[in-house]
Amino acid sequence: MNKITRAFISVLRQSNTSYSSVALLGRQLSYKSDISLDKIYPNARLQLYTPPPPASTGDKFNGFIPKDKLEVTYSRSSGPGGQHVNTVNTKVDVRFKLAEAEWIPQQTREKLLKALANKVTKEGYYFIKSDLTRSQQLNLADALEKLRTVIRAQEFESAAPSEETLEKVRRRQEKAARQRLQLKRERAQVKADRQAPGGIDL
Amino acid sequence: MANLRDASDKALKLLRTLPRVQIGNLRPNPNSKKPDKRGRAQHGGDKHGAGNKGSGQRQNFMRLGYETGNQPFYLRFPYEPYYKGHHMRRQYPPLSLLQLQVLIDTNRIDISQPVDITTLCNSGLLTLKPAEMEYGFQLTDEGLDNFKAKINIEVQHASEAVIAAVERNGGVIRTAYYDPRSLHILKNPKKWFEKGIPIPQRMLPPQDAIEYYTDAKNRGYLANPEEISKERLVLAQKYGYELPKIEEDASYEMLTAAKDARQLFLGLEPGWLINLVDKTIIKAKTT
Repeated sequence: MNKITRAFISVLRQSNTSYSSVALLGRQLSYKSDISLDKIYPNARLQLYTPPPPASTGDKFNGFIPKDKLEVTYSRSSGPGGQHVNTVNTKVDVRFKLAEAEWIPQQTREKLLKALANKVTKEGYYFIKSDLTRSQQLNLADALEKLRTVIRAQEFESAAPSEETLEKVRRRQEKAARQRLQLKRERAQVKADRQAPGGIDL
Repeated sequence: MANLRDASDKALKLLRTLPRVQIGNLRPNPNSKKPDKRGRAQHGGDKHGAGNKGSGQRQNFMRLGYETGNQPFYLRFPYEPYYKGHHMRRQYPPLSLLQLQVLIDTNRIDISQPVDITTLCNSGLLTLKPAEMEYGFQLTDEGLDNFKAKINIEVQHASEAVIAAVERNGGVIRTAYYDPRSLHILKNPKKWFEKGIPIPQRMLPPQDAIEYYTDAKNRGYLANPEEISKERLVLAQKYGYELPKIEEDASYEMLTAAKDARQLFLGLEPGWLINLVDKTIIKAKTT
């Protein structure tokens, strides 16, 4: 047996330590019991993969925020906590340029610019801070959740008042007007009665 | 230490010259025995510890627990189910991410292989007592921010933040159920193999645990793998990290290696008999 063959065999022997995957030279066949995943989910994609980000469908914000478009900085939180709060950067500051955020649909972005006009900085950054928990990662999750809430609040279309409600409101307004005019008439009569009677044709 | 040795040498020297220990030579430590209080003379006599008049002196006591007519405390509550069945509840001893990171950094655990109960118990620093209703380890979120290892780990319970921490670093986490017999085997496989019994198959989780292990959100071992892939993206969006492309990882095969639902050991099937002495595996003939 020459050196090359020996090396090849040793490589194959080493590769025996691979796991339950069918990929390896077709030698190792994974064990499939009566309740293996391919039997429970026959049409599913069994290998782990990274799905692509969901495509933005024009109008509504789908919840996807690209991390690279955000500027995240960490700093120390305030409040009690001793050495931990003094030394660990748990506070999270998430900021982005609101006008240039392509990941927010155009309509929603315009509404946000109007609603958050007083909150946006001079350079056009909108920011959210969070120091809710003791953990930086959980604070980042909280900041993103707040951001999503703010965006979705602009998209929320409050239901228009029903016909019954509008009818009720109209009747109330009319009643108020009637009462006001009646009161005016009464007061005018009272004032008139205080005067001496004028020259009336009896 | 030297002081103690001198003292013990001195004591032994003394013992050689002193007379034999006898009942008459012994004496209790000073102030260890209080003298008996007999019912006579100034201190034990007169009222004999029963006080003045009343039911106390007349030895006509109310029964223990009696509250002079109102419902006594020990009879007020007919049923207190606070701990009902507590001795039968499943326990998952915690393993924090901090501990795990330390184990990895000090080379107590080899992360080039998938990590499961056997790996953790073999490190010698963690034990599992299946007989005391311990059904495996749960990964806790202490040390969440500083966890930086890329591992393929299989535990029995993990919270969402912990799953995010593991996946953020490009790792894979799964929650799997092992019945007590399987746990007993897993925590010391060598001792089990010495028994000469074929590897049994893992049982399914009980009714109240099935929901947990079939949920992709918990990365359950019985969950749909496609859903798990989708949930990974959802969690990455929730916790604000870029999901690493696991397909392009060099150790993709190792990271996605998962046991079958009936399997105890990766690479070994139920029904095989491991012979440690002759280093062989005896498999059943397929009829």
